[in-house]
Amino acid sequence: MRTCERLVKEGRFVPSNPVGILTTSYCELLQNKVPLLGSSTACIVVLDRSSHRLHTANLGDSGFLVVRGGEVVHRSDEQQHYFNTPFQLSIAPPEAEGVVLSDSPDAADSTSFDVQLGDIILTATDGLFDNMPDYMILQELKKLKNSNYESIQRTARSIAEQAHELAYDPNYMSPFAQFACDNGLNVRGGKPDDITVLLSIVAEYTD
Amino acid sequence: MSPVFPMLTVLTMFYYMCLRRRARTATRGDMMNSHRTIVSNSRTSPLNAEVVQYAKEVVDFSSHYGSENSMSYTMWNLAGVPNVFPSSGDFTQTAVFRTYGTWWDQCPSASLPFRRTPSSFQSQDYVELTFEQQVYPTAVHVLETYHPGAVIRILACSANPYSPNPPAEVRWEILWSERPTKVNASQARQFKPCIKQINFPTNLIRLEVNSSLLDYYTELDAVVLHGTKDKPLLSLKTALVDMNDLEDDDYEEKDGCEMDALNKKFSSAALGDGPHNGYFDKLPYELIQLILNHLSLPDLCRLAQTCRLLHQHCCDPLQYIHLNLQPYWARLDDTSLEFLQARCVLVQWLNLSWTGNRGFISVSGFSRFLKVCGSELVRLELSCSHFLNDTCLEVISEMCPNLQDLNLSSCDKLPPQAFGHIAKLCSLKRLVLYRTKVEIEDYDVIASMIGAKCKNLRTLDLWRCKNITENGIAELASGCVLLEELDLGWCPTLQSSTGCFARLARQLPNLQKLFLTANRSVCDTDIEELASNCIRLQQLDILGTRMVSPASLRKLLESCKDLSLLDVSFCSQIDNKAVLELNASFPKVFIKKSFTQ
Repeated sequence: MRTCERLVKEGRFVPSNPVGILTTSYCELLQNKVPLLGSSTACIVVLDRSSHRLHTANLGDSGFLVVRGGEVVHRSDEQQHYFNTPFQLSIAPPEAEGVVLSDSPDAADSTSFDVQLGDIILTATDGLFDNMPDYMILQELKKLKNSNYESIQRTARSIAEQAHELAYDPNYMSPFAQFACDNGLNVRGGKPDDITVLLSIVAEYTD
Repeated sequence: MSPVFPMLTVLTMFYYMCLRRRARTATRGDMMNSHRTIVSNSRTSPLNAEVVQYAKEVVDFSSHYGSENSMSYTMWNLAGVPNVFPSSGDFTQTAVFRTYGTWWDQCPSASLPFRRTPSSFQSQDYVELTFEQQVYPTAVHVLETYHPGAVIRILACSANPYSPNPPAEVRWEILWSERPTKVNASQARQFKPCIKQINFPTNLIRLEVNSSLLDYYTELDAVVLHGTKDKPLLSLKTALVDMNDLEDDDYEEKDGCEMDALNKKFSSAALGDGPHNGYFDKLPYELIQLILNHLSLPDLCRLAQTCRLLHQHCCDPLQYIHLNLQPYWARLDDTSLEFLQARCVLVQWLNLSWTGNRGFISVSGFSRFLKVCGSELVRLELSCSHFLNDTCLEVISEMCPNLQDLNLSSCDKLPPQAFGHIAKLCSLKRLVLYRTKVEIEDYDVIASMIGAKCKNLRTLDLWRCKNITENGIAELASGCVLLEELDLGWCPTLQSSTGCFARLARQLPNLQKLFLTANRSVCDTDIEELASNCIRLQQLDILGTRMVSPASLRKLLESCKDLSLLDVSFCSQIDNKAVLELNASFPKVFIKKSFTQ
């Protein structure tokens, strides 16, 4: 993501092509002298101020929600190979090539749609979505009264903290547990995981 | 007029040239510093505030380490704010040139230097940067983040690349220049040389570097230009004789200079028919030619204007068998070529690298020159000659039937179809297409053809060949058994598990240089095969593999007695302790281990 940030800061991207940002960043990682290893899902959301459009790219089971008037109007789809195995960008050690999942950046889902003033855009890792169903997220977002930085920061924090608490509740029927049951696994409880939440509001542009 | 008079004048002229030369070799640094003290006191006033800018864009450069569309280790990182400074280390976000040290000069592919290259020209690479605003420069700072000390020259151009109108005149002025000096630390530094004041505003700066004294690749993060929008008042006064004395010899006009007044005297003097050149008439022709061999090209041109005899000598085509015009890139234009034409009909080695840009040389000018001077040409250096187009390559292919050595590196404006003309050059032995737009779909096909048709190939550079596989390598290795140098750095599609490196080692016993940079699959078996089969190995780069252990490297070092360069940067099994131990046992080998932090 740091590479994506660099690309964007240097203007080497097309706003309407966030998949391009993913692809270019991934290729850049391979240009590093340091042998990098690891894998990750990815979600990129681009707000084009002049066209009032949101362009998104999502690979894996992190994702975004767009909330308008208290309802989810757009969301990303989870991309999974099979249960609990999301699509992922990866750089495997050479011994493990071919044995390890490595999805191409252009396998990412991409969408584009218009946004309006007041739209709330939430991007998060699966740590959030696996532990908090939509209605709970929406409940938290309803508490967001104005679009100043402090309020948004507070709301993002409270969502993340709530998800974190639920993750460690052994009796709670989390979305993850529900999905597991649907896949024939008899489990209950939250899913301890890293939780990252990014919250933005489409507001009037001020300097 | 007595016969002695012309002779005395000639002698005086020699003496004058020697005096000037002596004045110029005085320590430039000292002279510069004293002038800075005079100027700095009133350099900036409230009305003429200093503007500080980072570079806006990198517009031209001779080489870089990274890949063309990448942000990693590429020259474009030199523009904008620094990303790494003041940290030290090997970072992707810096600008890195392609080579360092003298390793490439020690390879089988190293080119011999041109005769008559002035010792003051030491530049190996360059980068040109633009800035938003034109200013009268007061300082140029270079933020170096790894192995500093490569910058040896800074120049400013009078042309504004962002001006809609083409410039009336394009002048390059040296702001600062120094011989390559060794900097002992590899740590980051902000390089702040004392620059000379110039009398035109600029937003186009050029850095020239020499990396030969560096222990590893230098990395540059940013360039800062300090200047004033208006001409500093004191600059009028400091445009004195002193500043002119510091001007580099090589940048003066070849075909007209301060000798003009004397020249006029001679052309009008009745020199008569009989020889009256004193002792010069007694010296054998070849001896005078031998003396003239020691003059630089500008001096040779000046000497031609002293008298008829020396004119004949200086215009003798035998003086122009090697013609190196690269040091004069800042001034060389169509007129210069036309002027030199008549003397260069026998030229065999011609270096026009870096010349002709920004409209200095035209296609017709170049073509005209080659039509007159191309027939004996054996070696043609055209690195970074951006004036070249399809027509030029056609002219080369038609006018230079004896060409054996063609360097087109970084001629990235040449369209792909231009390269077809090279096929007509049947005597080619060396061809450099680094950073050109030659179209190659499938490197395996290329490798296979080379293996089939170029059985005597000694060196091959396939650095960053994106899709070569073990199949191409197999055909290459079985066909070109005499290969001494092979660069397969950053070729991601080669997998050691296919056995391609092991096979390569077995089939190429003459290998002296092998680069497998950033091939993450190189393993102990490959090293052991190299140890068994390639005992002549001198340079090996295995940067970035996790699969090579110190033990196999030890075997390699024991077996390859000539190994002098071993790059194990970012090899996770080879830590600093291992490097120290290997160095203790094999002190003559330079083991390179780069680091990021």
